[in-house]
Amino acid sequence: MTWLIILSMAAVVFISRYLLLEPKLPLKLSDKTLTFLSYSAPAVLTAILAPIVFVPEGQLNLTFDNTYLVCGVVATLLAYFTGNTLLTTVLSIGLFFILF
Amino acid sequence: MPDTNVDDTNAANDMLDNREAKQKRQSFIKGLLAVLPLTIAVIPWGILAGSLALEIGLTATQSQAMSAIIFAGSAQLVALGMIKAGVGLGSILITTLLITSRHLLYAMALRTQISPLPLKWRLGLGFLLTDELFAISNHSQAPARSKPDSLNPQKEKQEGLKTEKQSPESQRHKFDRWYALGGGLTFYIGWNIATLLGIIAGQSIDNLGELGLDFAIAATFIALVVPTVKKPSILICVLVSLTLAVICAVFEIQAGLLIASLSGMGAGFAYAKLSNEHKRMTTDEKAKVNSTGEQS
Repeated sequence: MTWLIILSMAAVVFISRYLLLEPKLPLKLSDKTLTFLSYSAPAVLTAILAPIVFVPEGQLNLTFDNTYLVCGVVATLLAYFTGNTLLTTVLSIGLFFILF
Repeated sequence: MPDTNVDDTNAANDMLDNREAKQKRQSFIKGLLAVLPLTIAVIPWGILAGSLALEIGLTATQSQAMSAIIFAGSAQLVALGMIKAGVGLGSILITTLLITSRHLLYAMALRTQISPLPLKWRLGLGFLLTDELFAISNHSQAPARSKPDSLNPQKEKQEGLKTEKQSPESQRHKFDRWYALGGGLTFYIGWNIATLLGIIAGQSIDNLGELGLDFAIAATFIALVVPTVKKPSILICVLVSLTLAVICAVFEIQAGLLIASLSGMGAGFAYAKLSNEHKRMTTDEKAKVNSTGEQS
């Protein structure tokens, strides 16, 4: 069963990556679909990161005791003002491991 | 002696081959260096993926295979959570499809550059296409932020048109398959080594998940999401997705990721439609031009 999950997931992931690189595929995505899809990266990435930051131990924690939240805010500010991925990840992860 | 002639042409060919090989190697190394910081940032995350898989009951081979065959960090971690919760294959695959659907968009964006390449390149780069590879492939092509020059909107408009014309060309010739391969392969190897570390560590340390390795995921994604928030509709999309994801997590709703992502996408899409985001921006510019025109 586990192997079935792994292999079928691999197929789904690979198809999603390869499909639109295939030259024989006539592109027939409507403008509306493409616009809708253009929101998928921010929406999905946010939906994955938000619970990690705001609900670290299964409970909503909006205080300064929540290291995840504090460092998440630091990362957001770094990303916003520097736009530098390396600086943002390294500094915020470094800060996290100092505080955690 | 005819032999020397043949040797000469061979030598010339060799030199040409050498130069080409050198260029390929340089591009490859450039890609490797570009993705290195992201690879370092992904190490804690890979350790988590390896150790969590073991903890949930996968064998060491299966845990490594997830990283080697699927090669999608977020999908792997979310799937592991679902396997742990006893969710069925169908739901796992639908969620995987949703998480991975952003790759359709990346492929769409790289289609003009990658689809003319030979099959083995398409398959290879397709397999290696991650958030991180997309980020470094697009990095050099990112358009500079326009500085609004309110004093001279007319000029601004003309310049805007110019850059619009230039950008597709500069995008096309900047794509380098060896650069992409260097970046993609480095990231793949890094991810798999990190997973292996997690599997090894997971066998000796209990509750590796409590060391806070998951923050690395959040940090990486924050660094990837924040720069994309350039329009009000994307901000709306992010805020709706964030709020619903948090609510679903608090109430332990399994389909939280699905609900939050689709709602965020829908909200962003609807906001853009209702507010005529695209059209309004152009009319604003026109209004500016008109008002300054009246004043002068």
